[in-house]
Amino acid sequence: MPDTTAAPAKDLEHIFYPKSVAVLGTNRVVGTVPHDIFANILRDNFQGIVYPVSPKERSVASVRAYKYVLDIPDPVDLAILVFPSTVCNLALEQCGQKGVKAAIIISAGFREIGGVGIQREEEIKAIAKKHNISFIGPNCLGVINTDPLSHLNASFARKIPAEGNIAFLSQSGALCTAVLDYAQAKHIGFSKFVSFGNKANINEIDLMRYLKNDPKTKVILVYLEEITDGTELMSVAQEIISETGKPILVLKSGRTREGAAAAASHTGSLAGSDEVCDAALKQAGIIRCTTIEEMFNNAIALAYQPLPKGNRIAIITNAGGPGVLATDAAIAHHLSLAKFSSETLEVYKKSLPATANIKNPVDVIGDARADRYKVALGSALQDQNVDGALVILTPQSMTDIENIAHEVCNTVGRFEKPTYASFMGEKDVAVGINILQQRSIPHYILPESMCKAFASALFFKNHREIKPEESVAFSNLSKEKAASVIKNALAASRKYLPEEESVTILESYGLPTLPSGLATSKQDAEAAAERIGFPVVMKVSSDDIIHKFDVKGVVLDIRTRAQVGEAYDSIISNIAKVKPEARIKGIYVQKMVTKGEEVILGVKRDPSFGAVIMFGLGGLFVEVFRDVSFRVAPIGPRSASEMIREIKAYHMLAGARGKKPRDIKSVEECIQRLSRLALDFPEIEELDINPLIVNDEGGGCYVADARIML
Amino acid sequence: MDKAEIKSRVEKVTAQVLKIDPKEITPNANFAFDLGADSMQSIELIAAFEEEFNIQMDEQKAREVQTVEVAVDFIAGYLK
Repeated sequence: MPDTTAAPAKDLEHIFYPKSVAVLGTNRVVGTVPHDIFANILRDNFQGIVYPVSPKERSVASVRAYKYVLDIPDPVDLAILVFPSTVCNLALEQCGQKGVKAAIIISAGFREIGGVGIQREEEIKAIAKKHNISFIGPNCLGVINTDPLSHLNASFARKIPAEGNIAFLSQSGALCTAVLDYAQAKHIGFSKFVSFGNKANINEIDLMRYLKNDPKTKVILVYLEEITDGTELMSVAQEIISETGKPILVLKSGRTREGAAAAASHTGSLAGSDEVCDAALKQAGIIRCTTIEEMFNNAIALAYQPLPKGNRIAIITNAGGPGVLATDAAIAHHLSLAKFSSETLEVYKKSLPATANIKNPVDVIGDARADRYKVALGSALQDQNVDGALVILTPQSMTDIENIAHEVCNTVGRFEKPTYASFMGEKDVAVGINILQQRSIPHYILPESMCKAFASALFFKNHREIKPEESVAFSNLSKEKAASVIKNALAASRKYLPEEESVTILESYGLPTLPSGLATSKQDAEAAAERIGFPVVMKVSSDDIIHKFDVKGVVLDIRTRAQVGEAYDSIISNIAKVKPEARIKGIYVQKMVTKGEEVILGVKRDPSFGAVIMFGLGGLFVEVFRDVSFRVAPIGPRSASEMIREIKAYHMLAGARGKKPRDIKSVEECIQRLSRLALDFPEIEELDINPLIVNDEGGGCYVADARIML
Repeated sequence: MDKAEIKSRVEKVTAQVLKIDPKEITPNANFAFDLGADSMQSIELIAAFEEEFNIQMDEQKAREVQTVEVAVDFIAGYLK
């Protein structure tokens, strides 16, 4: 049983390891949820005592039934409610009176139906709180614990799965039964299997925290339809990975862009909920999967085999084409083909036919039998230059599928290096696949999936080795100055801060800004331009105008006093035509920087993950190219550096085609300062610095345009 | 029809539909929680009451009725 010294806040021990269970609302009608749940517990050899509670039955499945849970003479650790939702409150209240501390509410008809269902859910939450009951559900399939100490199938799944070291947590109940069927066919076992439904009390974070200490669980899989508390999810994932090394795989559905469509800033429109979720999960070391198949492809690699130490793989194949396909996929996933040692090559020369390709991928030729696979795989795994092996087989008339499968399993068992297999085809290779799966060799229908799984295992291994980073404590910040600007804007119910106010805030957090001034007359503008020094840019300043270019409110590259006057008149006249209702505060005159690379920095407040920082290639076409990276704040020096190196245009900054490298260090600092600002001021909903102009190495960077939305 | 007769007929119908001993039926008994009516039997009960009293009940409201006592009052409302 899990170590309970660090007991979770909610009582999950009684959910998974109850000594006595009461099923409230069960009946004798086979094929109904109330009956089958009780029958499953009984049939699947639960190690404790189970009591049927049924208002009108004297017995269920030949077990004496009680009318009320209060009638049971002994203590009850876990109550499973299968009553109609309308009376779950009554049942839970009696559980409280009985002293039951854990429950699984299977019944549907709560929050998911809206209206009265929400009221019902609130009522059971209140009852649970009053009696200190921890509960799973409502609206769920139930809970399965395959540990022989408990062997509890408190669900209406068709059967209890085999014992394994993978835990599966799902927000969807219906998906659970499909997953169980899928897993059974592939000989995948589970440690714990939980459908948590509406998560009105126990949620995925509580369950993950419990599984951290569960010795039966090696890999945690989570299916989510919504992430309620992204920050906490990241935190618990980091805790699990760093303390126990258990990988977490998340399949998150609902990849919608609808939320992004309504955003006012570039960052807002680029940082859709799914992009942010993607980045946040990766940042926490969670492997995000897009399909059930991908999730299990990765899970079996992580659950059955050691983690790879590096990316150097050996491909052993009896078919040239699939070997090339695997090579392509490996390279695409940043794996490399190992260069064999001279000893390995010598063995291959002696043991394999002259026609065999002894370089990687090793082609043992179509007529290969088990002996060739044995020598090819064994030597590769022994080679110090190899971090893992991928075995491919296609079924020719002389291919001894069964023996090859056994030989692969035997050989793999002698080494501490990950080995996966792809026996390609379906009917003829089934016998071999069956052997591999039963002996915990991860098997994949396609070599491409095999490479992807290897890459995921490598990602996890690399993430585990990264030490947590500390944020830099910048000393030259003026929080009071920024706070004052924000306070004034909020007092005036202003949502959009004009550029001069946005720049003031950024300046107070040490971001490099350009000399500027707000002019309320043509003369003011001319004086400001001369003070700042030509060339200058002039932009309209108005609370009513967000996108200044769209209303012809910007004039660039102004080089003389006369041009300042012309630009002033032109902007005023353009606004009068395009947006006459806009209240103009003045014309913002700013030093123009003519050289440098344009990048974008941004902040978006995500409802689930909090402050998210964006970096990318800037300019007018930022939303066209979408070449951006995201991180959840706080951001330290390493993450800032990674954000910059992640985008495709990084090479432009690094100095492509003989160009001088740009001042990447200064951008890294800006990212970290922006992260601090976003954390200090939760009032900031969105923020754009577009562009941030980056000079050559050592020349710094400048905020050329900025806007903040509160 | 007076309340006592309605109550007696409600108890009779309930016992028939739920196949229980009429002695178990008390005024405060909850059809689902105390008498074991499942969702199908709840619908059967509504139909049986309509037939017994020759009335047409609002199904939505009828399904919100949880106890025998409330059912008697609810049916009485249709018989006025």
